Amino acid sequence: MAEDLVLDTAIRDWVLIPLSVVMVLIGILRYFVSKLMRSSNQAPDPKMVKEGQVIIRARNLRAAANYIPAKSFRARRVYFSNEENGLLYVPKGQAQNAQAQMFSDPNMAMDMMKKNLSMIIPQTLTFAWVNFFFSGFVAAKIPFPLTQRFRSMLQNGIDLSTVDVSYVSSRSWYFLNLFGLRGLFSLILGEENATDDTQRMMQMSGFGFDPTKSLGAEKDSLDIFQHEWALPKFEQRAEAVLKKLVS
Amino acid sequence: MANLGAPGKTASDITDELPTFNVENMQNNAKIIYYSRTFMSIIGGVIAGILGFTGLTGFIFYFLVMAITSVGLAAKAGFSVHSYFDGWNRIILDGFLGGLLSFVLFWTFAYDLVHIF
Repeated sequence: MAEDLVLDTAIRDWVLIPLSVVMVLIGILRYFVSKLMRSSNQAPDPKMVKEGQVIIRARNLRAAANYIPAKSFRARRVYFSNEENGLLYVPKGQAQNAQAQMFSDPNMAMDMMKKNLSMIIPQTLTFAWVNFFFSGFVAAKIPFPLTQRFRSMLQNGIDLSTVDVSYVSSRSWYFLNLFGLRGLFSLILGEENATDDTQRMMQMSGFGFDPTKSLGAEKDSLDIFQHEWALPKFEQRAEAVLKKLVS
Repeated sequence: MANLGAPGKTASDITDELPTFNVENMQNNAKIIYYSRTFMSIIGGVIAGILGFTGLTGFIFYFLVMAITSVGLAAKAGFSVHSYFDGWNRIILDGFLGGLLSFVLFWTFAYDLVHIF
């Protein structure tokens, strides 16, 4: 079996490097396109914003509860969660159907579709491009050995069973780029980079998001919260400090 | 590049040894760890490719690079890890495998350019 295949340098110049450069450029382009699409629309519904702010306030109270005395905490908790006019209390029957709300707001569905399209279209196009132009030859060699199982996946279009599995076709180089460049994007594009697919999935699952439900959840967690005063020796300490100041 | 935020723990002795954290600074520090690791994995990949490591050697090199990054981050925090992060786990393990794909990509890239063609 041939130890080393000699690959044409033209493959490097016309396949390997261009493919990587194109992938990087497409990633950057996608980032800016999705940014443009995102910023263009909508003033948010004031009621939604209000509820969101209430939830944030309740969460802050829960996070910092141990730094206020028990009495103050109880007073604030009642303010948020009493059954008559507490901010977090949602009367039964007022909770609107999330599904219905979704249909009444076509903007939302439109937004989702735009986001999805901006992700899927470039990927499909690039994949088709790679398949069409660069199939049927060895394009790269990965520097670690792989088992025979990977052959059908990595050597697509190369019908030679004697070639070592670590020689891969351009399609696998494409996939390697697709996954490996994510780190590079997060470095050059900064924090909220649009290519983060996992985050996209999270957003998708939170699509039928129901504000009344989160209000209720926040109310429950506030109700069961155990207050534990974090500064028991606070007064003695203050006394000591003041005494030192006076004397 | 890594400017660690102000200490995550503020004056623990005042509040009876109760650790208090500034969430924003914590997140900032975690982000810096992530960036450093990604950066190091890319650079490490290029270096491994140029040196021509293959097989297991390359992966060992990756773990070595990550270990060096951990030490570097700890040194940046002045080895008082607990005032910047909530434990050693974070500085040693966070994002350890996240950079692996980037590493493999740049390793392959540099290796192919230098040694195969």
